Amino acid sequence: MVIEIPLVNITARNTHIIPFEFEYYEPRSLEEALELLAKFKGEAKILAGGTDLLVKMKTRIIEPKVIVNIKRIQGLRYIIEENEHIRIGALTTLRDIEKSTIVEKNLPALHDAVKVMGSIQIRNMATLVGNLCNASPAADTAPPLLVYNARVVAMSTRGKRFIPLEEFFKGPGITALEPDEMLVEVIVKKNNKGSSAFEKVSRVVVDLAIASAAVYAEISSDGVIEDSRVAVGSVAPKPIRTRILEERIKGLRLGSEELKKAIYEIDREISPITDVRSTAEYRRHIVKVLVWNAIERVYRRIRGECV
Amino acid sequence: MCINMVKVAFKVNGEHIELDVSPRELLINTLRSKLGLTSVKYGCGIGECGACTVLVNGEPVLACLTLTVDVNSKDIITLEGLSKNGLTDIQRAFIEEGAIQCGYCTPGFIIMAEYMLREVPNPTISDVKEYLKGNLCRCTGYINIFRAVLKAAKSRVSR
Amino acid sequence: MSVEFMFIGKRTPRKDAEAKVTGMLKYTYDLEVPGMLIGRIVRSPYAFADIRRIDVSEAVKMGAIVVTPSDIPQKPYNPRLVSINEVTFKDTYILTYKPRYLGEPVAAVAASSEELAQKAAECVKIEFEKIYKPILDPLEAIKPESPRIHEKIMKGDKWIEVENNIAARLDYDEGDVNRGFEEADVIVERTFKTGKRYHMQLEPKAVLVVLEPGGKLTIYTTTQTIHNTRILISQLFDIPESRINVIRVPIGGSFGSSIQTNYLVPIAVALALKAKKPVKIAYTREEDILDHSNFVFHFKIKIGAKKNGVFTAAEFINILDVGAHQVQPYPLLGTSLGWFISMYKWKNIRYRGIAVYTNKVPGCALRGYGAPEVQWAVETLVDEIAEELGIDPIDLRLKNYVGKGELFWGQGPTVKSIIKSDGVPELLLKGKEIIRWSERGHPSEKKGRFRRGIGVGRGFHTSGAGGPISGEVIDYTGCILKLNEDGTLDYITALQDHGGGTLDAHVKIIAEELGIPPELVNIATASTETTPYDVCTHASRGTYVGGECARRAAQIVKQKILEAAIRIIGRVVNPEALRIGYDKELKQAVVYVEGTDIKLTLAEIARTSWQRNWGTIGAFVSYRATSAPPSFTVYYVEVEVDTWTGKVKPIRVVAGVDVGTPINPDMVEGQLHGGFVMAWGMAFTENTAYDPLTGEIMGRGLITDYKIPTAADVPTPEEFTVIIAKTYEPTGPFGAKGLGEAAMNPAVAAILNAVYNAIGIRFYELPVTPDKIIEALKEKGELEW
Repeated sequence: MVIEIPLVNITARNTHIIPFEFEYYEPRSLEEALELLAKFKGEAKILAGGTDLLVKMKTRIIEPKVIVNIKRIQGLRYIIEENEHIRIGALTTLRDIEKSTIVEKNLPALHDAVKVMGSIQIRNMATLVGNLCNASPAADTAPPLLVYNARVVAMSTRGKRFIPLEEFFKGPGITALEPDEMLVEVIVKKNNKGSSAFEKVSRVVVDLAIASAAVYAEISSDGVIEDSRVAVGSVAPKPIRTRILEERIKGLRLGSEELKKAIYEIDREISPITDVRSTAEYRRHIVKVLVWNAIERVYRRIRGECV
Repeated sequence: MCINMVKVAFKVNGEHIELDVSPRELLINTLRSKLGLTSVKYGCGIGECGACTVLVNGEPVLACLTLTVDVNSKDIITLEGLSKNGLTDIQRAFIEEGAIQCGYCTPGFIIMAEYMLREVPNPTISDVKEYLKGNLCRCTGYINIFRAVLKAAKSRVSR
Repeated sequence: MSVEFMFIGKRTPRKDAEAKVTGMLKYTYDLEVPGMLIGRIVRSPYAFADIRRIDVSEAVKMGAIVVTPSDIPQKPYNPRLVSINEVTFKDTYILTYKPRYLGEPVAAVAASSEELAQKAAECVKIEFEKIYKPILDPLEAIKPESPRIHEKIMKGDKWIEVENNIAARLDYDEGDVNRGFEEADVIVERTFKTGKRYHMQLEPKAVLVVLEPGGKLTIYTTTQTIHNTRILISQLFDIPESRINVIRVPIGGSFGSSIQTNYLVPIAVALALKAKKPVKIAYTREEDILDHSNFVFHFKIKIGAKKNGVFTAAEFINILDVGAHQVQPYPLLGTSLGWFISMYKWKNIRYRGIAVYTNKVPGCALRGYGAPEVQWAVETLVDEIAEELGIDPIDLRLKNYVGKGELFWGQGPTVKSIIKSDGVPELLLKGKEIIRWSERGHPSEKKGRFRRGIGVGRGFHTSGAGGPISGEVIDYTGCILKLNEDGTLDYITALQDHGGGTLDAHVKIIAEELGIPPELVNIATASTETTPYDVCTHASRGTYVGGECARRAAQIVKQKILEAAIRIIGRVVNPEALRIGYDKELKQAVVYVEGTDIKLTLAEIARTSWQRNWGTIGAFVSYRATSAPPSFTVYYVEVEVDTWTGKVKPIRVVAGVDVGTPINPDMVEGQLHGGFVMAWGMAFTENTAYDPLTGEIMGRGLITDYKIPTAADVPTPEEFTVIIAKTYEPTGPFGAKGLGEAAMNPAVAAILNAVYNAIGIRFYELPVTPDKIIEALKEKGELEW
């Protein structure tokens, strides 16, 4: 059997510069941006934070013909608390989220996540929406938003649609967005009954997750899980909710052997792979520890023992 | 509007700059090649090492992942701008504490240390680690850099 | 031995400090000259292939300057000149039709901007004759049925056949090993494997070649050796050395990454010669990782010992994965043996070393040249034997280590000298107290999720590769010291400062010898045409060899200054009564006679020599050290293992070092900090893994997936203690020895011995990633999950 050896075009990559030309647009309004997306369809890429997009362009993972820089559009950078909802705009950076008391108070798992994402420089540039649109299985903002049942707002010249985040992720790097659509907002419903937390493990402190887990839970004062939502990252082709697990841990006590056993149910829901960051076996193991740790942290939070 | 050459105007270290740039030009290359500000160092080109950190409107930004068109009308500070009036307390502390070896990562560290002291005037060692964790150094093991930054913080607070 | 020094051992700011903290220092990538072209390299998209032809027509049509293998002398070379020619193996071509690793340069282009050069490089079309499956495992490569990566290479000036992909070999026997093992009460045998680490020096390699009027070449490049760069370019292009000038440019860290002439240098020369214009090539980070990384070491080591803790025999099998081309793996086979032999008195030794080709990035030296790897293995085994014998590991080390008065084989079989200074007992015993060794407990007593352990690692590095007789390794240096007309001095040397402060150490040595303040001594810009030959700033020889050379020059200059002073004084003075010192009132260096009013400023002497036409006071010294003494290091490390996650955290570090006289104690500390952190990366994260199908470095060769420790991964200043042994090396300048590599060498062993002390598990393959720790805990039945 002759094995076809794939060609690796190393010469094309160049991180000194952006190694190819593109058409560049700097729309001043959302309408203008949407029109551009409608016009160029799949040939255009949106530039917001740039921390993922420009790396992919320099290393030739993608080669968009058109760049639509949305950073000059007014009114897309916000974190608003509105009745039962918190709304986060497309240009809101990870650092904005980290510094937001609204997020810290209401969405502690998201707050945990952004604090352990990249460096301060990266967080200052990268946007939450960009992290979601990148649709990496390792996107740290995804598991928290999944446990918050977040919805995202996609807009195009054809109109507006609300997509549950869980349906937004389709696979590695693939989202539910149509080529002419732009993700303009993330909406999270507040939930004051329980609390939430996020945990991750990585090779060094500044790194992509080997695996991650977010837990929202309502826990009684004597440590029984009354309700929960759990989501995990880097253990499947996309960030996922683990509903079987959620069902199984209901009514179990923190720190108990039963809880530990129930967490093993997650094996039925995940499909980790071995890659340069770690092994499938390790991911299978560590994600359980992360879920356990996250539940513990939620409980401490509910009891006011940690922020 | 589609743009092929863009006129950009921005401030660098207090000086007004006007240039025509291609949209694909990166800030790191504009600063280094067109403006001669070679304290902005290329270390990885993908935002992993922090050597090209500059302040844009007071916030730390990686020049290797920033299009020059994006800093239009903004205010940029590079290390050259920080020490216009002589060495800063941070720079002096870096010298005194042996926080420099090869010196290649030093500009990025000093920019981040300056940013931190503006945000957190009285940092703990955990703050220092948090603010500097995006800047890689292969020589010093970071330890004398921690010493230098904590020393500069102390001297700044007592001033 | 305690000596009072004026400057040595005191903190003084480094001369380049201000230029570095202000970002004004220019590194190679920062240099520009008018009319300069930017070069880009066209790289092989396959790891193992033969090229039929390279079509450059489109790139030429764009106006780019293009070079292919056909434009370039097809002479095999070895990019590192350190061994004598007879034992230098040559298999590399500037550009090649036979790429042997993914990314190997096959052509190059130059254009007026990087954007244009990039476009031109992408236009070059390569047609392949044959594409082979890459061979990535040396154990597979040596099988007779494996295709040959190289068929013929040159050894010295002779062509030799390569068999079974074995690039070089070295065997050694001493005593009767079989009998030694028979006499042993305990025998331990283990295999070890390291990662393929990358230097990750912060400055990617770069070069600027300027064609001077009249055709002379000026080369600015990231290098540890300007002279060897010149010699190599001269040999490759048949240009006389006198028509090539290599300038010493500040370098942004090296750790061995520029110990050789990097591939981009001859490529840029070829482009500049063709373009008749200056050409600059600067690697991107993802190209830099393709230029060189470390060797991969596969060891099999067997050690025998008697009940009383005396070693009886050792067998060491060393398989080096050298990658696609040789960058001096032959001397590495020798140094590996040298590091091994000089650790402990094994009595009977058998060594079998082979260097094997694979289709990976060529391996080159990386801080320690095999010593961190060998010392990790040996110090692991010594701990295991101590446990088997029920002897305290520190006692076992003290009993068997090679110390004062004994023969030391620093850099291989032809570099031997007698050890004259030895701080090992002091460091082992002091460190033991500080770390609270006696309280460390046994792993079996440790329970719970978080477990702490303390480990020790002892080792050394040589100071250079000098010795009483000339062997296979070249090692000498040279310098010029001259008194200027105003009493300041220019110090001229080809040695490089990689960041450790080597040249500042020289200045202090000169200042001490002359009795004048270091501020008076200028470190002159240097180039090959203005400096005597120096082999390379490597092997931790900068302070020890270069410093002694500088001291000797200062001694001569001092003598000449005194002679001139006598001439000026004009009356009978016993020359031995003359002193040089710093006069605080005059704020100048002066020559005086104690108890008299005779006093001349150095400036006066210099000026008089000038005004009266006496000539320049100066010295030219070429110096070879007759010894390569070990700088010993002892690390005690405390770690905490999270047995749920497999993550390890540093708790405390005690780094002890015997550098003889510390010329600059704060720089000594800095080296130890950096050495420990680099070892931490080697222990837990650093490796370039290869895709088995394509032979590409996984993670697209981006440093996103090559993780070195960040500021948030390392100990705090309070958790890190440095102890400096009080020793004096009689052959070194003012008692000094080298440090750069010793600072790291045994740290990995200490870290992993601490992991063992925490969880009772030993790891024999680096890096020890969390998955390996969890897997091992599971096997041991200690995984709580």
